[in-house]
Amino acid sequence: MKKSSNSPLITRRQTLQGAGILGLGAALSSLGAPALRAQGRKEIRFLNCETGKDTLAFFDRIAKEYQEKTGIEVRIDSVPLGEAFTKITNGIRSGTPYDIANVGFIGHVLILADQGQIVPLNELTDPYEWGNNILFPMDGKVYWYPFDYNLSVIYYRKDLYEQKGLSIPNTWDDFVANCQATIEGRRKGCLFPIGSNGATNWMSVAFMWAEGVKLFDDQWNVTLDAEGMKSKAAAYLDFMERLYPTMPPGAIQADYATVLSNVVGGSVAHGAYAGRVLEAAERDNPQVAENLGIMPYMDSAGNNKAVSHGYDGWVVLKTDNTGPAMEFMRWMTTDRLVDFLHTAPVHFQPARLDIYDNDRWRDNAMIKKYSQQIETMRGMVTDDKMLVTSIDTQGPYPDIRPGKVFEAFVMPEMLQNKLIKGMSSMEAVETAAARMRDLVN
Amino acid sequence: MTRWMLPAFLAVGVIVTLVLIVGPAVYAVSLSFFDLPSLTSDPVWVGLAKYQAVLASAEFWNALWNGIVYAGLAIVLQVVLGISFALVLHQPFRGRALVRGMAFLPYLLPTVIAVLTFKWMVDGSLGIVTILMDDWGLPPIYWFETEQAAMISVILISVWLWTPFVTTTFLAGLQTVPTQLYEAARVDGAGPVRRFFHVTLPVLRPILTVIVLLRGVWMFNKFDVIWLTTGGGPLGATEHLPILSYRTAFALYDIGTGAAVATISFLFLSLAVFLYFRAFPMEDDA
Repeated sequence: MKKSSNSPLITRRQTLQGAGILGLGAALSSLGAPALRAQGRKEIRFLNCETGKDTLAFFDRIAKEYQEKTGIEVRIDSVPLGEAFTKITNGIRSGTPYDIANVGFIGHVLILADQGQIVPLNELTDPYEWGNNILFPMDGKVYWYPFDYNLSVIYYRKDLYEQKGLSIPNTWDDFVANCQATIEGRRKGCLFPIGSNGATNWMSVAFMWAEGVKLFDDQWNVTLDAEGMKSKAAAYLDFMERLYPTMPPGAIQADYATVLSNVVGGSVAHGAYAGRVLEAAERDNPQVAENLGIMPYMDSAGNNKAVSHGYDGWVVLKTDNTGPAMEFMRWMTTDRLVDFLHTAPVHFQPARLDIYDNDRWRDNAMIKKYSQQIETMRGMVTDDKMLVTSIDTQGPYPDIRPGKVFEAFVMPEMLQNKLIKGMSSMEAVETAAARMRDLVN
Repeated sequence: MTRWMLPAFLAVGVIVTLVLIVGPAVYAVSLSFFDLPSLTSDPVWVGLAKYQAVLASAEFWNALWNGIVYAGLAIVLQVVLGISFALVLHQPFRGRALVRGMAFLPYLLPTVIAVLTFKWMVDGSLGIVTILMDDWGLPPIYWFETEQAAMISVILISVWLWTPFVTTTFLAGLQTVPTQLYEAARVDGAGPVRRFFHVTLPVLRPILTVIVLLRGVWMFNKFDVIWLTTGGGPLGATEHLPILSYRTAFALYDIGTGAAVATISFLFLSLAVFLYFRAFPMEDDA
């Protein structure tokens, strides 16, 4: 066939072939290529996940200060905590890794440490005394610098307790009775989330820790439905079934903001959260702020107490800029840590114990005003009888397995099976244990 | 000049498509053949093992069914309501331009704002809907408390957000229908209902075909509404394939399985689109 003079330079077949080859090449090269590291840069890249207005202003300020002091630019990127790990790994993968990053999940620290992506920080952490269960060393090496505990504690209304003649509950029966007694008009007794979300993992499960439930044994076998443990977990579900009618509609989907606003707004008499409640109440509802007390989660018999930790910290990545990044971290965690903590004075509950006695830290209006609550929180991280734990830190040592249980919302779904589906407590526990085995094996 | 401009423009389009669409898509598919807990892990070749695991899991089939229910019901409601609103807005009445503008408003809202506003409105303690119902002596509505209620709620939000798209597109089509056709039908004694089914719908069939196709694809892949309202819960009742893929890849540290779910979802959607075009061809050969 004679070729037409109007024939295109590139045929459709050639275009498609070229596109396919280029696409495949791009895909395979990005899959197989090792992470490329930026070479010879001075700038320190810092991934921050604390997005409060004052905290962002703090980072802006210290970045400028550090540049003036050393000539090294510090670039701060801020993202919500939930996106931090993806951002960190994408940075590594694309050859533009962060030098320092904010992490809020010990499983992520473990993954990064296992892959050799972060460096030990013992030189920064060893000089200090730390609260219970916060450093999570791996083979003696500490890979993160925890700056707060974010303990989930139970808030209660002191004024209502006084009006109704109630005392601090020591058992589950007492707590249910107090929640029932404080229902009045539109105000409900309590709000503990039971949805498929992180809020439920953090705020609603610590009753079970106080009861002595452990998710894994020392060999990482699932123990939730083991002899002795199963009945405790089932008792917790029975307790939550009694608590549920004292909650407002919407507990299934209640998230952090819902609980915060309900406690601060005074529409529930009890709720869980960290120090953010006091800061928000002080700003938005001072009358409620003055009447908020805190207490730990209790067990059924009044023998044990527990709190759920949320913790946050910084890691230093292994880059060609690790040396300057470590120097920046050293400066920030010695000279500027108190200023950082002051940006959310009650919420950023210090993990480093010396801070509690630091005069400059104590010289803060909010810390002075809520000194009683802060002392209670301090006691929670120093008292060896107090259980400080969470789903993602269960097990004999830091590992990704409890992290999967956390992220798969196994405990929230155990609650939902009981409260929505009407499953028996024993069956709900067995179902949760089976799901855990699926996830970790 | 023309001889070189055409390939040049074509090259730009091809390169952009390759870099932004084909490359990432092929990369995502390639990930499904590897085991890797995070993007920084060393990939381990596992062949089709991830696909076997996905197809054998109850979660996948539950998510597929949820996606079909969510997309199907949302499309039906969006199309029925959207066409109804378009027919009303096509009639002459005072303030029509203003109402037409307002009808489009929900579509302009960022999803996150619409969803968070909805959540606050129906909050069990503080929501304005809850307060008003309480004032009127009505029992509270448990918007997300049961599996069915959660699915209905996410469908309602989706319908509210995207019905305006159907309304506007259909309204634009209505304005192109020749008035002579209506007049002829009227002369033949056809009432409003018969005119709609025998004049309006046949003329606007190509537009309707595209609307249903686009909305179907968009709803099946819609991530933000469900993620922001229920996160896929309770008990997986609103978890569809995009949520399952995301959670598996980024929350459960299994990028390969997450990519396999996404790939199967893509194949399923491609098959659905193929069958749709067979059933409702865009070009009528007759």
